[in-house]
Amino acid sequence: MDFFLSYIILAEIYALLALSTNLLVGVTGIFSVSQAAVFGVGAYTCSILTTTADVPFGLAILAAAAVCVVVNVLVALPSLRVSGDYFVVTSFGIQFLCTAIFENWVGITGGSSGLTGIPAPEVFGFHTEEPTHFVLMSSAALAIACVCFHLALHSPFGRLLAAIRQDELAVAAAGQNVLRGKVNAAALAGAFNGVAGGLYGAFLSFIDPYSFDMQGSILLVSMVVVGGVRTMAGSIVGPLFLIGLPQLLAFIDIPSSVAGPVRQLTYGVLLVVFMMFRPGGLVGRRL
Amino acid sequence: MSYLNVDSISVKFGGLQALDRCSFSVEAGRITCLVGPNGAGKTTAFNVISGFLVPEGGTVSFRDRAISGLRPQEIVAIGLARTFQNLRMFVDLSVLDNILVALPRPFGNEPLSAIFRPFKTRAVERARVGQAEELLEQVGLGARTHDMVRDLSYGEQKLISIARVLATGADLLLLDEPSSGLDAEALDDTMVLLGKLQAAGKTLLVVEHNTRVVQRIADTVLFLHQGRLLAQGSPDEIVRDPHLTEIYFGGVL
Repeated sequence: MDFFLSYIILAEIYALLALSTNLLVGVTGIFSVSQAAVFGVGAYTCSILTTTADVPFGLAILAAAAVCVVVNVLVALPSLRVSGDYFVVTSFGIQFLCTAIFENWVGITGGSSGLTGIPAPEVFGFHTEEPTHFVLMSSAALAIACVCFHLALHSPFGRLLAAIRQDELAVAAAGQNVLRGKVNAAALAGAFNGVAGGLYGAFLSFIDPYSFDMQGSILLVSMVVVGGVRTMAGSIVGPLFLIGLPQLLAFIDIPSSVAGPVRQLTYGVLLVVFMMFRPGGLVGRRL
Repeated sequence: MSYLNVDSISVKFGGLQALDRCSFSVEAGRITCLVGPNGAGKTTAFNVISGFLVPEGGTVSFRDRAISGLRPQEIVAIGLARTFQNLRMFVDLSVLDNILVALPRPFGNEPLSAIFRPFKTRAVERARVGQAEELLEQVGLGARTHDMVRDLSYGEQKLISIARVLATGADLLLLDEPSSGLDAEALDDTMVLLGKLQAAGKTLLVVEHNTRVVQRIADTVLFLHQGRLLAQGSPDEIVRDPHLTEIYFGGVL
């Protein structure tokens, strides 16, 4: 039961991240491959606040969301000057920069060893050590994020982002502010990342830089591609599928040293196969 | 002072002088056609006026206000909007959405209001949908409101681009080749539409290659050549000038 609930909790946390990545990459067309880095910023912010400063989890996760809003806006800003392939390269750089900070700012992040002993949250006097309790919190967070995602997409804001993705010059010619649209999209995506980061650290009670590296960013893009771009359902199906995959591999009798590479290989193959044969993903819209 | 005044603007692309101290003006309520051979600088002039290109020298003023250096959306907000020769439609959006993007003063255009005030967002949106539908009726696309733009013909997409520029509420409309690529019927409809827009008080500055269209719609013609205003006059004066005809059709000077 705990195994299944742990899977659901992780899938829900990654669904929050997939919603964020979908908003930025799928809806707005800001092709960022540094979303895991922003996720890491959220995880470290929340975990440091709860472990070293004894800040209540509710406040710490709000602070993580606020920090990630700022960081994600800064990450997305280069997309105003450089677009397409150039921004992908820029965001690669941002990802490597953040990973280097996570690994080397030992006094704050714990370096390569990471942070341990992150306390399980207590929300309104409600303890969440057990997955049966934690899943309620992660489900509530995902439900709120889904409502936000739905309202945002089915509003003039969502229409503006879709227009920005298709033709920025035409958006400006229509009298709308492209800069403001991109900043707002990055801010909302950042808030999702911050909440996901806070939940991730609190659930595992341990974080290290390797959860937020380039492979993590590629995994997030894979989730959006496999699940489906520009739909809420795609951002939920993708993580359920790709987080479930290693759990399935665990049932196969292969050495753990092989399981990791096999998992990465599978992600890569899936990404290629979906881009070639089903670019809209399992439940997405056409690219 | 003119309604739109372009004063000595210069633009250089590498070694090519696209506009060379080019000056002209546009009077309110008139249809002014900007003509000239390919490479004369017509679209570059549009890009400068609409804020998409910053000139190396010169100024542009609209209603006695300098607009050089303003961003495109700021220029739209003060009443000057443009279309593009290659249309630049949002092809993955519906016809209605293409118009709604351009309607000013939206509510729910940023995440906080969209998420925390959904009912007001919906209420404002309903009123705006009504406005957009009226504009689509005006250009003759009332029946295509909910179709995806990619499913419409080129001529219909041209009409959407005109509806979108009207949606901005601008009084001065810069139309880049509104008649190109249209069949005879669509061309006729477009010319009728431009006449109606003028009658409704709009001022039009139109880049146009079709001399028959120019003769039919223009009050004033500006003839550009090699980045400068070479001649200005009525359509008949311009068309009957053998020197200009030679440049336009012969491509030599």
